[in-house]
Order: sequence, then structure tokens, then C-alpha cells
Amino acid sequence: MAVVAPSPRDPGGRKRKCGPGTRLRRCLLSAAQQPPAPAMDCYTANWNPLGDSAFYRKYELYSMDWDLKEELRDCLVAAAPYGGPIALLRNPWRKEKPASVRPVLEIYSASGMPLASLLWKSGPVVSLGWSAEEELLCVQEDGVVLVYGLHGDFRRHFSMGNEVLQNRVLDARIFHTEFGSGVAILTGAHRFTLSANVGDLKLRRMPEVPGLQSAPSCWTTLCQDRVAHILLAVGPDLYLLDHAACSAVTPPGLAPGVSSFLQMAVSFTYRHLALFTDTGYIWMGTASLKEKLCEFNCNIRAPPKQMVWCSRPRSKERAVVVAWERRLMVVGDAPESIQFVLDEDSYLVPELDGVRIFSRSTHEFLHEVPVASEEIFKIASMAPGALLLEAQKEYEKESQKADEYLREIQELGQLTQAVQQCIEAAGHEHQPDMQKSLLRAASFGKCFLDRFPPDSFVRMCQDLRVLNAVRDYHIGIPLTYSQYKQLTIQVLLDRLVLRRLYPLAIQICEYLRLPEVQGVSRILAHWACYKVQQKDVSDEDVARAINQKLGDTPGVSYSDIAARAYGCGRTELAIKLLEYEPRSGEQVPLLLKMKRSKLALSKAIESGDTDLVFTVLLHLKNELNRGDFFMTLRNQPMALSLYRQFCKHQELETLKDLYNQDDNHQELGSFHIRASYAAEEV
Amino acid sequence: MAFPHRPDAPELPDFSMLKRLARDQLIYLLEQLPGKKDLFIEADLMSPLDRIANVSILKQHEVDKLYKVENKPAVSSSEQLCFLVRPRIKNMRYIANLVNADKLAGRTRKYKVIFSPQKFYACEMVLEEEGIYGDVSCDEWAFSLLPLDVDLLSMELPEFFRDYFLEGDQRWINTVAQALHLLSTLYGPFPNCYGIGRCAKMSHELWRKLEEEEDGEAKGRRPEIGHIFLLDRDMDFVTALCSQVVYEGLVDDTFRIKCGSVDFGPEVTSSDKSLKVLLNAEDKVFNEIRNEHFSNVFGFLSQKARNLQTQYDRRRGMDIKQMKNFVSQELKGLKQEHRLLSLHIGACESIMKKKTKQDFQELIKTEHALLEGFNIRESTSYIEEHIDRQVSPIESLRLMCLLSITENGLIPKDYRSLKTQYLQSYGPEHLLTFSNLRRAGLLTEQAPGDTLTAVESKVSKLVTDKAAGKITDAFSSLAKRSNFRAISKKLNLIPRVDGEYDLKVPRDMAYVFSGAYVPLSCRVIEQVLERRSWQGLDEVVRLLNCSELAFSGMTKEEKASSESLRLILVVFLGGCTFSEISALRFLGREKGYRFIFLTTAVTNSARLLEAMSEVKA
Repeated sequence: MAVVAPSPRDPGGRKRKCGPGTRLRRCLLSAAQQPPAPAMDCYTANWNPLGDSAFYRKYELYSMDWDLKEELRDCLVAAAPYGGPIALLRNPWRKEKPASVRPVLEIYSASGMPLASLLWKSGPVVSLGWSAEEELLCVQEDGVVLVYGLHGDFRRHFSMGNEVLQNRVLDARIFHTEFGSGVAILTGAHRFTLSANVGDLKLRRMPEVPGLQSAPSCWTTLCQDRVAHILLAVGPDLYLLDHAACSAVTPPGLAPGVSSFLQMAVSFTYRHLALFTDTGYIWMGTASLKEKLCEFNCNIRAPPKQMVWCSRPRSKERAVVVAWERRLMVVGDAPESIQFVLDEDSYLVPELDGVRIFSRSTHEFLHEVPVASEEIFKIASMAPGALLLEAQKEYEKESQKADEYLREIQELGQLTQAVQQCIEAAGHEHQPDMQKSLLRAASFGKCFLDRFPPDSFVRMCQDLRVLNAVRDYHIGIPLTYSQYKQLTIQVLLDRLVLRRLYPLAIQICEYLRLPEVQGVSRILAHWACYKVQQKDVSDEDVARAINQKLGDTPGVSYSDIAARAYGCGRTELAIKLLEYEPRSGEQVPLLLKMKRSKLALSKAIESGDTDLVFTVLLHLKNELNRGDFFMTLRNQPMALSLYRQFCKHQELETLKDLYNQDDNHQELGSFHIRASYAAEEV
Repeated sequence: MAFPHRPDAPELPDFSMLKRLARDQLIYLLEQLPGKKDLFIEADLMSPLDRIANVSILKQHEVDKLYKVENKPAVSSSEQLCFLVRPRIKNMRYIANLVNADKLAGRTRKYKVIFSPQKFYACEMVLEEEGIYGDVSCDEWAFSLLPLDVDLLSMELPEFFRDYFLEGDQRWINTVAQALHLLSTLYGPFPNCYGIGRCAKMSHELWRKLEEEEDGEAKGRRPEIGHIFLLDRDMDFVTALCSQVVYEGLVDDTFRIKCGSVDFGPEVTSSDKSLKVLLNAEDKVFNEIRNEHFSNVFGFLSQKARNLQTQYDRRRGMDIKQMKNFVSQELKGLKQEHRLLSLHIGACESIMKKKTKQDFQELIKTEHALLEGFNIRESTSYIEEHIDRQVSPIESLRLMCLLSITENGLIPKDYRSLKTQYLQSYGPEHLLTFSNLRRAGLLTEQAPGDTLTAVESKVSKLVTDKAAGKITDAFSSLAKRSNFRAISKKLNLIPRVDGEYDLKVPRDMAYVFSGAYVPLSCRVIEQVLERRSWQGLDEVVRLLNCSELAFSGMTKEEKASSESLRLILVVFLGGCTFSEISALRFLGREKGYRFIFLTTAVTNSARLLEAMSEVKA
């Protein structure tokens, strides 16, 4: 159990600073969290049909364990996609609240585990958002963007320009492009400024919207052809802003009578756009505004709190999830909509293949049921996968029906397809029990196939194991299979490292047998870089701990870790770490940087690399005065002879001085003889 | 007559791969500068380059004209200049002058400097100081191993000897380590490793480090060469200083073999042209006589000539068909053999003529007396006479050095008198040479015992850290005692002669010096290989002043085949002589080993001493 095992984010065995009580409670909760295994017969009970062809289902990811003192609606909320963390800034600067109370910025994992909590000491924040690297961007009213790490560590800040500073920020959005993460800002002068990549900040001031007197009723960023645009709605008009111009646009097939747009939503991939009008009418189309996909009239005139797209990659179904205070509606190309009741304040997070919905008590996932699952589980389905699953169940019951079903599939020659369906469906299941029974069916079907390549099955088993591990309550990254594939294992490992879950990351690497240099060593190096920042541990202990863990793991650069230690101001530790660095070529430059030139010199000499010695020599020559420099040389015969060789060709006078300093009369004599012979030749 | 290898002798690895590798790399570097370009080649690199890529290959890759790097302004008109140089400061200044001259003339050209075998930081520094670092592009041509023969690899770095053993400059050690690394990646790891000497130890350590950094790839390779033996030249100067009497060594001493080929002058070719001849195993006649004592060579050659004659004579009784066969198949080979035979006979004659003029017998006798350590006074007076007759400055110096080393340094009286006579005879400019020789430990004065230790203790007081040991070592090497006499006794280097030593059927390696002396270096290698370690040789190691510098390493390598375990790579750091090569080839034949030689350069007594000399010839 979790109580006994060392905490996952604690590779060094450091005790976490929480009392036994909290731990026990968490433990009990996590035990209670396991919902009972779904009964087979009501498996499709949470499936809701939308139109004729699609089903949508909503299932619980976690029951949230955060002790929110306030309602979500009182907070600025930002949740990162791909099962990322949730940031809450309580008590933002609302006019009715007293400004004297400093707000608290809290960061939780997707399962509600607290990651960080800090008192907000800077200016008023307008908007929060997560970058692609899972850094929290906090846009202040004065246009300064503060960047925090996942654990609430301040990273850096940048400003969005003077114009923004003067006119204050009205509204801001963080968006993701293929370059990284961007920030778009609406200023008090109703102008837009945006930067498509905060990593490489280039501010772009968008052209003015003619006749714009008040803030647009809604706006969003679009990303087309690798360029970021802004779409805004003013009254009944829509404007598209790009770098050069502002153009009015009209969505094709928009129902008449619209006097204002209340909400707009762009899909995860920037391909689709949905508009909500004041008549309760929803227009859905492509983001280029060239084509209408469908429309829906919900007859609710109240402005929705949130509207997000809920679609799966490569699916034909389009649906938008609209949330009001107490109502959640899934609308698509169908006359009816799916309606859910919201018991509490909820917040929607668009994902690649669905929508995450979290509230004070739960965290749910709403998505379109994937084809493979639909085929297998749909009531009275005769798809090969469904038959195979049934056959396997009968087989376990030792019933002869198993044979009947199997023959049926085989007669149609669909066994391969059946196995593939079961494997695929297993990937989309959230419950391990369900995954298991599907995989069992696949493996059962595989027995009757001659040449079924096993790698898809094996890989799915591995992937599911990894996914189940990261979906665990303690880790709290509720990735779906498609998200995981999109994210890639490398990025997932990076995210685990970012959450300081080093042991889990290493276990995954070892389990997936990733090459050491990419996998384990990289993670260990990250761990070491984190370890050197622990200021409360003595230099010796840190160095020893790091060396014990890392040993001679290939691909680990001790000099990188030492550089990090030096960056934290721990020079002594850096020197200790450098001792472990086998490549002198890496040691010496850092030692020089740390102004340990003499140590660098002896290291260079030990390495036997004369180029390195020379580098240090020239450095020393500039750093020390001549006398000290010569004295240093005197103690290092190798460096001395090297320098003499150099002087012989380049600086004869220095050579003489060197001999003089050493009282080397013999050489001095030879020097003069040589000089006289050389002079004769002229 | 030439001893065949034992039938179970292992096959040598194919070293032509190294040539191909070097050629491809050079071509790649040349292609980096597309278009027509003029190539400036350093004189020292010309012969090695010739063995790798001839002019037509260079032309194929758009090399227009070839120039020699010398201290003259270049007249090249090409828009692109490529320099192929050793990493020497002198060369950098040459290039800098050229580039700066162009700059003054307002001319812009493309310059590329290719350093071989590697680039040194000091060179780049000079380029920077001269203000042309941005104008030239630098590259490395990692050409460090030239296969001169099937069993001989040379790094062609004659300056290694002076740089390391005289100036104490260690920059070439890295190059050696790189070369060893290359060998082990190409021919598998070496399961057994031995070495003696400071440089050997450092090279070995550096090489190991390189292997560690890059392990993983080399793992699992079957070793092709079972042993590697690293050896510093300063461990055995005696052998290198002796006159060579094996044919190949003698040719080297007389005509100077340069990069595996020799220029035979008109007196050898018996025509008015001189001829450049490649001397290696492909020359069938040479291959049979190269390792022979010179006294046997004449007899062998005349026998060979007679055989050739009978071969020619066979055609007398042939019918047309046989004749056709003979002409088409054998004649060419016979003609070739004929040509080589006459060449080597010519060389022998020329050598004989020169040696008789120099009173060679007397010289050899003196050398043997020195080696055996009797009649020292007589030898000393012979040397004095040698100096006074002004036979040759290098030869005289050689004898003095030999005397000094075998006698553990000259007694001060002798030292002073010999030095004075030498300087008076050959000129005072040799004064600096004497100081160099003393520094290298080649020609020393017997010091009253306490002075050295005084210096040592002074130094150790000065320095407290790890380097202290190194410094005292360095100092002791300055005035190193050679202990030759004791070593000689210990290792039985002077064979007991009962009756005449039969040079035709040699018994031991001493034949390379007419049976008077077993080369010390070769004896050490023999002993270590016999024991598979330095165990039991502690006394010898101590006498060689290498107490901490002898090492052996063994990896448990089950994969090494018995065949590979009989292949031994001997690395001579600072050069080796042909006599040593012959001696080890002989040892190999006796014991069923095959030796492969890797040397920084092939050397002989003259080259050794010229390297120490401050007087430009």
C-alpha cells in the first residue's frame, strides 16, 4: 500500500512534510475511490445517443480530494490539457471584495492532489493559463506575464509591451500553436496584442477594429496556416484580425435575427468553430468560416458559462458541449441534444478526444464512444469483436457456446478483425477490469489464428500498464489512449520528471525497455539536477547520494549537474560533483567558469590533453599577474614545458623571463647562445 | 635461405583498411571546398600522402596545383587555397603571412587549413593572434597510422622523439592514444596489455579513457590481436645507437629509408639516374634478405642470381609452345626479379664500398667492446681519434653517447676532454647539442652522488601535492642512470661466445648485431611475453628506472582465439630501428608469434642524434 511504499515523488527517501493523519486519510480515500467493477449487463447504461450514429458517455475519473474553501466560480481557473494540472487563484481582484486580503495561488494535480500553494504578492491577475511545457502563465493587469513552474517555483517574467501597460489588460487568453504556447491580450483600448510563442517572445500588435467602442462580446484565437488570428464578435458582426488587416466575416448559413454572439469556441485542433448567439442558437462550422457543419437551437437565451468542442480525431461526429450554471448540454448534428444536470460549479477542459469536467467533488470525462467500443458493446451487436468477447466469456464458463461463437466468426473470416477490435477497444477503456476482459478475449482469439503478429497486443498491454500507472490517484494524469499516443512516451516521461515522480518514470523506462541514454539516464540526470537544489542537505551528502544513484550510468553528464549546482550558488558541491565526471574536457571549462583555475590546471594536466592544458594556461595568463603565473607554472612541469614550447615560437622574451625567474642559468645561457646564432644569420 | 614462418604462424590482419580510411577522409575534406583549389603540402607530409593518395586522385578532386609549404612567398593564383600541414606554429605563421599579404593586396580568397593528424589549440591561438582566425576554416585529417608494410605501421611523427624526450612536451600522447583507439575499434580489443615507460603509461591511460567513453560499440568484438606492448624509446637508447648490420637496417643507415621507400643514387642503379624504390614485403628479393645479417646477403644474392640464370636458361630446350608459355607467364616475373636483384646487388656493393672506407670493422669492434664493457680506455682513445679525424660529427657523437650510456655516464675528466675535443673539431655551435644530450640522458657526466639528491629534495620541498612525485621523476630522468651494465648481466644481453657465432643459422636475437648483443628492448618484450606479466622482472624494471611505470593489464577474454593470442602489437614510442624489427621477427619465427610494429617513426642512430642536435645540417 501507499503508506508503506516510499512516496513516489521522493526518490531520495526524504520524508514528506505531512503528518501521518493526512496520509492515512488519503489512503483510505483512495481505497474508497475504486468504484465497484461494472456489471456487464448495464455496461452501456451511461451511453447517450446523439442522433443515429453516435454515442456519448461520461465517466468519473477521480473524486476530487481538494478542500476547496470557495466555489470554483470565485476563482480564476486554468487547467492544462492532456490531463495536466489545475491552477486556481482564489479571491481575485473583485470589486466587492476587500483588496487587503492577499489571494492564494494553488496548483493541484488533475486528481486534486495539492502540488503548490503560494501567496500572491504581485499585481492583479486577469487570466491564468498553462503553456505546452506545463508552466503556469499568469497575465497581470499591467501586461506583465509571470511564469511559474508546476511546483509554484517562479521561473521568469516578461512584459507584453508598453501599449498594454498603459491601457491595462481587459482580457487575456493562453493558446497553443505548433510553435509552443501563445498569449493574446485585449487591452483597455480594445486593441489586441499577441505573441505566438512565449518561449521566443515576439509581440505583435493587431490592427484596429474600425468603430469598436466597447469590448467585444466574445473573442477567440484561431490558428491557421501556422499564423495566429483573432476572431471577435461585436454585436451582430464578426471580425477576423490578422497581422495586416481587419476583415468582417459572416458565417455561411447563419440563421437570421442574431443581434449578438454570446460565446464562441474553437476546437482543440483549430479546425472547427462554434458560435452561440443571443437567440439560443448554435452555429457549428469550419474555423475558416467557409462551411457550415450543422446548427442547433437550444432555446436558452442565457449566456453559457463555457462552450467547448467535444470531438475525436478522425471521427465524423461533431459535437459541442455547452455549460450553464446547472446544466450541461451536448449538441451536434441531431435534432435532440444530450442533457446532463450539474450539481455543482463545474469547469470544462477541452481535450484532444473529449472534454474533462471537474467540480468540487468529482472529475469526469465526457467523450464520444470510440468505434471499436461501440461495435463491441452496442446492444445486440453482431460485430466480430462482440462475438469474440462473448465466446471468451462462454469459454470461461466452460460452455460449448464458445465454440459456436468462434465458428461463427471464423466462417465469416473475421477473426483477425475481431482480435484487433478487442485490442483497440481495450485501449479506450478506463477501467482495468474491462481492459483485462477485452485483452483476454483478444488473447483467446489469437490462439485460433496462425499468423497474428503479436506486437500490437503486446504493445497495447504495455501502453495500458503505463496509462493505468499514470492515471493512478497519486499521480493524477488522466490520459486517454489517443492523448497518450499524441503526446508520445518521451513527453509523458518529461511530465513525470516535471512532477518529480522520478521512480515512476524510471520504472516506466525499465518496463518499456527504453534505451538507457534516452530513458533512465536522462531521468536520473534530472533527478540529480533537482537534488542539488535541496539547500538543506550538506554538500557531501548530496554528492554522495547522487553518485550512489547515478554511478557510471551511461549518458549522464556530471558536468551538467555540476553546472546546475553552480547555478544554485553551490560551488563546493559543483566541484565535488565534477570529481565524478570522467571526461576532463567537461570538467575544465566549468572549473574555469567557477574561477578555480588552479584546480582546472591540475585537472587538465591529469587528463593528458595538452589542448586543455593550453586553454587553462592562456586563461591563467590573463587572470594572474606575471609573477603568480610563472609561480603556478613552476609547480606544473608539464604545463611549463608546454608553455616553453609555445614561447619558443611566439614569445622569445617571455621565455627569457621564465628562465630568469627559475634561476635556470644553464637554459638561460643556451638561450643567449641560440639567440646569437640566430642573429648571425640575418 | 630466408627463414620461412612456422606453418602455425597466425595471419596478419589487413592493414590496408587504414589507408582506405585515410584516403576517404582526405577526399571528404577536399570536397568540403568545392571547386578548383591549390594544395599546399608540408614537406614532411609529402611522402606519407604519396602512399595514401597519388596526384591523380588529388586531381580528381579538383586540386589544381601542388605547392610545398616552405618559407617562400607563394605564387598561386587560385581562388581557393588549401593547406595540408602538421600542427606547428611555424606553419601557422607561414599561412598567416600569406593571408595577410593577400589582405594587404586587397585580395579575398578562400583558405582552408587541414591539420594532420590533429589540430592543436596553440595553432588556433596563433591564427587568432595573427588576426586571421576568421578568414580560414580549420579541419582535422586524423591520419595517424600509415601502413608501411604488412607488419609495420608508422605514425610518421619523427618530431615525437624530440618533443617528448627532450622538451617534455606531451601533446603527441593524445595522438598516440587516438591511434590505439582506432586500432582497437577496427581490429577488436586487445585482451592483454603490457607497457613500460612514462609515455607508454600515459598513452595507455588516455587510450583506456577513450575506450571507456565510447564503450558499448566495441563490446562483443572478437579480438584479432592478442597482445599489445607499449615501450618508451628512452628505456633503451643503446640498441638505437648501435650500428646496424642487418640488411634493411644497413640500407637505412646508408641510404635512409624514407616512408618505406629509398632513393638509390646512380652508384647503385649503375645508370645516371637515381631511382626511388619501395622497400616492403612485395619486393620478393628484398623480403628474403631484409632480416639477414649483411655478411650473408652477398652469398644469397649470388645464389639467387645463379637460380635466375638457370631459369632463363631453361628456355634453351623449349619448343615453340613452351616458349610462348614462358614468355607470357614467367618472363615478366623473372625480368622483375632480375631488376630487383641487380638493384640490391648494386646497393650491397655501394654499402661495402662506403663501409670499407670508414674502417667499419674497427668501428664495430669498438662498439662491441663498449657493449661488453672491456678495454674502455682503448675505446675512448678510438673515439678521440674518430673525433680528431673528423670522420662525421653525428658518428662521433653516437660513439660518445654509447660510451656514456654503457658506462653509466662519463667520468668528469673524460667528459670534459671529449667535449672540448669535439667542439674544437666540429665547431662550437655543437655546445647546445651537448646540453640537449645531457638533458635527454644520452650523454651525461658522472655526478658525485649527492648533487642529484640535493636537487630532488629541494624540489620536493617546493611542491607538496601529487605533482611532487612526478617532478622528482622528471628530475631523475634528467640525470638518469642507465645501469646498462647491470641490466645487461641480468638479462644476459651479451651472449657467451664459444667459438664463432654462426650468422647463417642464428640462435638468438643477437644475430642482428653480429652475435654480440641482444637488443635490450626486444629482450624485455621476450621476457614479458614469456611470463605474461612483469612478475620476476622487478629488478630489471628498477634498473630501467621505471619502477612505477611498468604495467600489465589482462581482461578475461575467453573469446580470444589461440591464433589471435599469438599476434603481438609492439608500440615503440619515440621510434624503433630496423634491427629491432628484424630481431623481433626472428623471435616470432622461433616462438610461433607474429609481431606487428607500431612506431611513431622508424629511426636510427643518425636520426636520433640529429633530433637532439641544434646545428642545422
